[in-house]
Amino acid sequence: MTTLTQLEAADFINRSFKPLPRAYGDALVEAALGDQRIVTLCADLVPPTETDRFRDELPERFHNVGIAEANMIGLAGGMARSGEIPFCHSFCAFITKRVLDQITMQAAYPNLPVKIVGFLPGIATLLGVSHQAIEDIAIMRAVPNMAIFEPSGPEYHAAMVQLALEWDGPAYLRMKRPETTPTAFTPMPLEIGKGVVRREGTDITIISAGLCVHESLNAAELLSQKGIESRVIDMASIKPIDVDLIIESAIKTKAVITAENHSVIGGLGSAVAEVLMDEGIGIPFKRIGIQDQFCEGGTTPYLMRKFGIDADAITRAATAVIQRKKSK
Amino acid sequence: MDDRIRKLELTAARIRRNVLDICRQRGGYAAQGVALADIASVLYFDEMRADGNGWFHDRFVLSNGHDAIMTYGALAESGHYKMEDLRTINEDGGWVDQSPIEGQLGFEITAGSLGQGPSQSAGLAWALRHRGSDARVYCLFSDGELQEGNVWEGVMFAAHQKLSNLCYIVDNNDMQASGHASNVMNVEPVHDKFAAFGLHSIRISGTDIAELIDAFAQARSVTDKPSVLICDTRLWDGIDCLQEALPMAHYTAKTAVDWDAGLAEIGSVIAALEGVVG
Ligand SMILES: Cc1ncc(C[n+]2csc(CCOP(=O)(O)OP(=O)(O)O)c2C)c(N)n1
Ligand SMILES: [Mg+2]
Repeated sequence: MTTLTQLEAADFINRSFKPLPRAYGDALVEAALGDQRIVTLCADLVPPTETDRFRDELPERFHNVGIAEANMIGLAGGMARSGEIPFCHSFCAFITKRVLDQITMQAAYPNLPVKIVGFLPGIATLLGVSHQAIEDIAIMRAVPNMAIFEPSGPEYHAAMVQLALEWDGPAYLRMKRPETTPTAFTPMPLEIGKGVVRREGTDITIISAGLCVHESLNAAELLSQKGIESRVIDMASIKPIDVDLIIESAIKTKAVITAENHSVIGGLGSAVAEVLMDEGIGIPFKRIGIQDQFCEGGTTPYLMRKFGIDADAITRAATAVIQRKKSK
Repeated sequence: MDDRIRKLELTAARIRRNVLDICRQRGGYAAQGVALADIASVLYFDEMRADGNGWFHDRFVLSNGHDAIMTYGALAESGHYKMEDLRTINEDGGWVDQSPIEGQLGFEITAGSLGQGPSQSAGLAWALRHRGSDARVYCLFSDGELQEGNVWEGVMFAAHQKLSNLCYIVDNNDMQASGHASNVMNVEPVHDKFAAFGLHSIRISGTDIAELIDAFAQARSVTDKPSVLICDTRLWDGIDCLQEALPMAHYTAKTAVDWDAGLAEIGSVIAALEGVVG
């Protein structure tokens, strides 16, 4: 176990006061060792965005720009125009909402490989409304050329770097720093535009992303005890979304719910609904997410329960949707 | 004057004690709260005028949410908050937030997203003047926030509108989340920058009560421009043992320092001042 520096000890996100794994940060360094074009920018949140190893090992390609997110995107746009692949880091709230115009004009319209990496997804923070990003996916999804990827756990963090690099243009990664050392897990391969079936079932499909994937898998267990078998999809590629898998699942299970750590407006649930409507698939359907309201700070399990995006909420919604399916 | 100073020093020491008492519960921004205690003492207990209804006629805008601990420490001393409530800070479902939201006593705006206070306080100061109010506006922000362009946009408006009812206070502690501001992204020369933007700029330690009283009086006497008090504080100023133990603490985890040692040191400061103040 490595010891913490004074600054890491003062890290205001890692309240465990122990070194945490940084699978994303490690993967970024490894990618950069093989590709000279990768540059890292960070707006004063170095350990909280896992960029400390990059800072220490590749200092000539690392910029801490200070608390200046708009400037960071502009710098990245300039660097990308000269052939670099900049990865920009802050919290989800600041790196999307605060700099949206800069993102659209300096990265998305010119279709440059500027990678926008946010931590503290959705409601998952003690720091409350100012630090919560419950509308970031809705906003970023509407930006042309932009891809959006969200890992369902630390085991998929390394893959996020790969997806971002495989996508030719600007991409948004919606990351969650692990709070404890994750248990060993062999990740399934991720692909751009592909969802991952994490559990098979024929009664209902639960499509989710990020923190809600784990909750959906737990909900599937609870449902299974009641004789309901769920297909659970990890839609790590939120944009482009896996249209074929959504259609196939909807036809197969004839009931779909979505679960996300985001507002029900404009996020994954909306994206799935758009696919279903475009295909004319009218089946029992329900979106689980933040109900168009501002939230508050708290521990993540507390907030997920209070704002209705945990396994219990998913189980309740699935049960109701199954009821509708039966009475059809 | 001497008695006034000693009393405010005692209040500052008690604010420091309150800050430690609150932060030891679950960790917090203790180092800033401690360092800002003298500013808080003079601002809340000397400079801002009362409204006759148990609150203030003048307005205080906190720009960076995390310095709320300073306000909590001070408003516990004034009796506006109870320490037993403040000790619940950041409990799930509790109402005392580390980064407070507007509506909670003492907080005009919902801060936390840095760099947004200078514009909002300039808007507030302009509107107060427009409505014929003589209330003054004080806005505290940090050196880290100076890196946001939004700060300078607000400052430019304040100077252009000659908002002499506005007094900015900068916690120029040369510290931000990833280290010393002078290493991360230098913001100096801060005094010259504000002066060049057209403000009356005063540079002080921020930890000397007499100096703070003077600086606020000077700001009040300026009639054709906003003022800024640049306060060169250092984290933990006023509690030596904690400054030695953790000089770089943007955030202080619950287990990071010896809270008892800090409380013992400030306890003896309080006892000594209580002996002097009548
Ligand atoms: C717009 C924005 N970007 C980033 C953050 C994350 N953040 C919170 S505090 C902080 C450091 C602030 O520097 P400063 O206020 O000078 O810190 P202090 O001296 O109080 O330790 C950062 C980067 C934020 N809250 N808002
Ligand atoms: Mg600072």
